[in-house]
Amino acid sequence: MLDQTETSPPRRALRETARFHGSTADYWRLMIRGALLLMVTLGLYRFWLATDMRRFLWSNTEIGGETLEYIGTPIELLLGFLIAVALLVPVYGGFFVAALDLGVLGQISGVLAFLLLAVLGHFAIYRARRYRLSRTVYRGIRFRQTGSAWRYAVCAVFWWGMIIASLGLAYPWAQARLERFKMDNTFYGDLPGQFDATGWSLFIRGLPLWILVVGPFLAGLIVAVGWVDWAAAAAVTRQGGGDILGQIEGASPGFGAAVVIVTLAAVWAVLAAAFLYPAFQALTLRWWLGGLRLGTVAAASQLRTRQVYRAYARFLWYSVLFTLAASVLGGLALLVIGLLGSAVDTALGEILVTVFLLGAYVIAALAYSTIYQVTVRLALWRLGLESLTLSGTAALDRVKAVGRPSSSFGEGLANALRVDGW
Amino acid sequence: MTTGAGIYFDGETSARREVAVALAPETLVIMDARGDELAEWAYADIEHLPAPAHVLRLGLRGEPVLARLEIHDPAFASAIDDRALTVDRSGATDRRARTRVILWSLAATLSLVLAAVFVVPELAARLAPLVPAGVESRLGEAVDAQVRTMLDNRNLGDRLVCGTQAAERPGQAALETMVAKLTRAAALPVKLTVIRREEANAIALPGGRIYVFQGLLAKAESADEIAAVIAHEIGHVAHRDGTRAMLQAAGLSLMFGMLLGDFVGGGAVVIAAKALIQSSYSREVELAADAYGTRLMAQAGGDARALASILNRIEGERKPGARIWLDHPDAQARARAIHAIAPPGAGVPLLDAEQWAALRRICTD
Repeated sequence: MLDQTETSPPRRALRETARFHGSTADYWRLMIRGALLLMVTLGLYRFWLATDMRRFLWSNTEIGGETLEYIGTPIELLLGFLIAVALLVPVYGGFFVAALDLGVLGQISGVLAFLLLAVLGHFAIYRARRYRLSRTVYRGIRFRQTGSAWRYAVCAVFWWGMIIASLGLAYPWAQARLERFKMDNTFYGDLPGQFDATGWSLFIRGLPLWILVVGPFLAGLIVAVGWVDWAAAAAVTRQGGGDILGQIEGASPGFGAAVVIVTLAAVWAVLAAAFLYPAFQALTLRWWLGGLRLGTVAAASQLRTRQVYRAYARFLWYSVLFTLAASVLGGLALLVIGLLGSAVDTALGEILVTVFLLGAYVIAALAYSTIYQVTVRLALWRLGLESLTLSGTAALDRVKAVGRPSSSFGEGLANALRVDGW
Repeated sequence: MTTGAGIYFDGETSARREVAVALAPETLVIMDARGDELAEWAYADIEHLPAPAHVLRLGLRGEPVLARLEIHDPAFASAIDDRALTVDRSGATDRRARTRVILWSLAATLSLVLAAVFVVPELAARLAPLVPAGVESRLGEAVDAQVRTMLDNRNLGDRLVCGTQAAERPGQAALETMVAKLTRAAALPVKLTVIRREEANAIALPGGRIYVFQGLLAKAESADEIAAVIAHEIGHVAHRDGTRAMLQAAGLSLMFGMLLGDFVGGGAVVIAAKALIQSSYSREVELAADAYGTRLMAQAGGDARALASILNRIEGERKPGARIWLDHPDAQARARAIHAIAPPGAGVPLLDAEQWAALRRICTD
């Protein structure tokens, strides 16, 4: 059976490639069942679903002829989450009280809360990665991660600040720095990880995309700013009164045209970003995979941009199909429920309709997310793996076991804070 | 004795070994190519681990060293499955465990929903009276800025608040006379502000700040009708409904938002569920404030039925279907309840004709 046909290529060739054995149909089944259970358990099932998803993805991932294994359990995730909630409740309570303070504390409490949550979020991302790595087994040896999560969190918040301040231009260096931090602290047994790609190489590849998205927007903004007579507009605004926009247009004739230009520029930026996102994702993934090192083992990726576009096209197609089917069925159901309810009592009809719309919203959100997980996330996992060429894999035969499993607190914190990262 | 081929990783190093596996009555024995024994695993200690569909992957339960044995031959895999109880290739054990988990989480969900509907409102109602007045007025001031921004839907800025122009001074004085009569009867300090918004409405914040909308002044046909709405809002302040609503919202968002986390779309569900629970609860709250307002009007000497007449007028002009959230009970039911408790007699209007005319000029510049 599979054994005979699939191991027939010489082991040598097998050792330099990665493959994914999972069938998309199985993943659909797993995700749809998971979505249904999430719905009826108000989301409590997510720890079980996350574990199922990882088991599926890990154990079907074959690297150099052997498959990965995920040994985490849902109960670990649930416990980590409960601990994180217990620790976060006093933090939230503190911010609630601080927000009531009318002095300086109350005014800056929003900013403080945002910063603290940003740091905690990245802390959680790092610790969650540690948990997942220590639950990843390959050839009977587990991965592990060292390093201070606090240092990572501060570093990450700093770099995200830089990304925002530079309108995204700092992104390549931020990614390179953070990825280096993660990989320098990653080990497979006694084999140390490393990240070899540079910010410059990502910058050069990504710059055309950045120019296409941000360039026209910035140009539009600059042109528009030049058209408005700011002194006159400020004077009018200070006077106040109804229809401020109309008054500004009266005082500074270029204002209306400027608003149109800025709106068009913003629409362009959003559309271009949406259309180019798969290309961006493909080149980032290629860059990231190509930078990964474990001892002398190195990876290179030949991921094709068009394959990523195909995954997104499939997402759009399934989403459209779902939307059509759901609108027809939902519309009919709404009609029946509304009529039935109103026949008894107007108020009852309204309540029924509201409850129905609420349920429809949840179903739609879960459905789109499920479609995305299967058509895009699973596809990217598969494409990323199958695009790999490995070198120096002889080192994988002589790895010694080191390390023990780590706690799931970080994962729980990430869950409580609603952050995700890998 | 049955034997078969396998792949073995000893858990100490990553070396891959092709081994022969012999199935003894109680144990399986792993041997290398020369027939030397590498390990012996008791069937009872074997753990069945996740692997691709065509591979049976085994380990030892509770061992820190992660030794692994992989069987690729399906016939041999089922021979092991027959001997080791923990090997669950059909997934039946896993399904049973999963069903238990699902039933428990359904029970947990049910208990959370019940707590949200019954326990949280009850707790908020018990706790609200315990909040000291100082804390309550701070609470009110803290939300005041946000409330004002929300109320200012036409971006009027400073012009949102009426009563600051010289022409409005007599009207403002009349309003203050009216409020003074009500607060004296209620023995509660309130801060009343008229704002430029077209709806016929008024809202009260914790701690006694009340916003009366310009639309209400336009809709009212007598000063007592306005006084009655203000008396209703004073009822909310006296019953600490604002504080209670804030405690309730905080409790619900803690429960749903944090404990359940945000699976996709969860956030919106939480908000909508909160609105639904709160609206069913707020009907009682509105009726209680009506009763308070009616009694307060009677105490102040005005027309205790004025609230019913303005309610009926506002409700009559509303478009059908606008009442989605049902946050105010049916106007007719409310009017009936007001008439039932209002003392006989029309009372003396709280303002004279001249004051009433001045009051109506607020916000009309």
